[in-house]
Amino acid sequence: MQDMPSTSAISTQGLTKHYGSVQALSGLTLDVRQGEIFGFLGPNGSGKSTTIRTLLGFLHATSGEASVLGMDVARESVEIRRLTGYLPGGIALYDSLTGEQVLDYLVDMQGREPYRRGELCQRLELSASVLKRKVRDYSRGMRQKIGVVQALQHDPELAILDEPTEGLDPLMQQAFYRILDDLRREGRTVFFSSHVLSEVERLCDRVAIIRAGHLMAIHDVTELLARRRRRVTLRWRGVAPDPTSLPGLEDAEVDGNRMIGTLSGEVAGFVRAIASPNLEDLTIEPASLEEAFLEYYAAEETPA
Amino acid sequence: MSGRLFSQTLRWQRVRLAIVVLAGIGWGMLIPVFYNAFSTVMRDLANSGAFPRELMSLGSGSLFSLPGAITLGLQHPLAIGMLGIFAVGASATAISGERARGTLEVLLARPISRLALYLSILAALLMTVLVVFAAILGGMIGGSAIQGLTDELDLGQLPLVILNGFGLWAAFTTFGLAASVTFDRPGPAIGLSLAYLAVNYFLEILGSLWLDAAWTQDYSLFHHFNPGAILSGEAVMVDLGIVFVAALVPVVYALVVFPRRDLAAPA
Repeated sequence: MQDMPSTSAISTQGLTKHYGSVQALSGLTLDVRQGEIFGFLGPNGSGKSTTIRTLLGFLHATSGEASVLGMDVARESVEIRRLTGYLPGGIALYDSLTGEQVLDYLVDMQGREPYRRGELCQRLELSASVLKRKVRDYSRGMRQKIGVVQALQHDPELAILDEPTEGLDPLMQQAFYRILDDLRREGRTVFFSSHVLSEVERLCDRVAIIRAGHLMAIHDVTELLARRRRRVTLRWRGVAPDPTSLPGLEDAEVDGNRMIGTLSGEVAGFVRAIASPNLEDLTIEPASLEEAFLEYYAAEETPA
Repeated sequence: MSGRLFSQTLRWQRVRLAIVVLAGIGWGMLIPVFYNAFSTVMRDLANSGAFPRELMSLGSGSLFSLPGAITLGLQHPLAIGMLGIFAVGASATAISGERARGTLEVLLARPISRLALYLSILAALLMTVLVVFAAILGGMIGGSAIQGLTDELDLGQLPLVILNGFGLWAAFTTFGLAASVTFDRPGPAIGLSLAYLAVNYFLEILGSLWLDAAWTQDYSLFHHFNPGAILSGEAVMVDLGIVFVAALVPVVYALVVFPRRDLAAPA
């Protein structure tokens, strides 16, 4: 991972939001560094959208503080939105306008030039003829593409994206991932919420896990992936060695020359230990972030 | 205020506005025709006692004089319907509708304060109301000219009529927009705004039909708009003050409430 500047693009301190007796967000404290892609992960109803809406000034925090690009969300919301691109979850657009009119209207309201529109439309396969059609004739995926373009067309310093790949087909998801990769290379900051673990794994530098309004953890994605356990299957010529002699291997089951177990922590020590001419086959199943996530939730009962 | 939002709000209304303006001009032109054709008959009917005299002067208007007929035409349910399309329908749905559709959060993701958003939409809606009112009144003046009746009107008072009428409909518009910033869905906002208009109209009609209840008219905004009196040189300046205060109160309410409201995710 590249070195990140230490300035915070987003910073919250004890951010809390109640709706009557319902606690939507509870003491959220996090820092998103400038230039990173930050994943905000959690199941539906966990407080992801509430956090985003509070950062953009749509909701007023019950207590706590938050700043975006160094500006206070309560006092400088308009200036924050000038520098930000936002894609709401399940975006709604003006049905009576064409795609192009929607983009023109929104970029006019943004007060900036649509520097990236051409490139984004090309990458998301929004042709001129498609943009001339009324939004009411668009499929959900097309609307989502327009949503992505409107959020990024003015080349914002910070992109806040709520479930950005919802409704996009797999090819367009890949195109979207490449767009975010480019933004990262250009030093832009992206904060995006998702419950799709694979895209967080694919894209993010760091990830925060939120559940029931509580921040459960913030991790480097690489660290989280390194921490997780992997399923290992080994086959030997002759008798399998004593599993307790293999570092990091847990829950091992030996069946003749075959051994199945779970590997956690560093892989290198384990590989050195099994290196032998008698090792006939080795499978380490590629662990997904999903497994790490589920393990995390299984292990952690209290918030961070 | 955002010029782009102002012009876009007008653009949303343009087709409806064009149709209503044409209808308003048409309606306005008919009033002097009715007056010319029926005022004598109506006066005879009223004098004969066949109908209660109150029926001949509904809502402070009457067909016995051209200014009275103009009042009647501007307070007729048809005119109220035309103006209500914008003063009630468009204003009550302006923000609550965007909110229910989910487009409000797309709009508010731009660098525009809620204050600026509110004022831009308010300005555009007030302009539509002014245009419709001017179209109806213009039709009446045009119709009077065609009928050769303009000498019955004190045309120098026209700006005051426009100001008074605009104040009346601005009051309903700002009320509708205040309801619009209050509710998350257009239904309750439209209902409340419509009820406000209906209650005002009912009090005016009740007071003009039933002399014992004449005091109720003072509580109706319609009673404080009497173009007939103005065009006869009998303008009551306090009426102007009342309608403009009634227009201002919902603005103050909206400016206090709207920026402080939580805009949760649309359902």
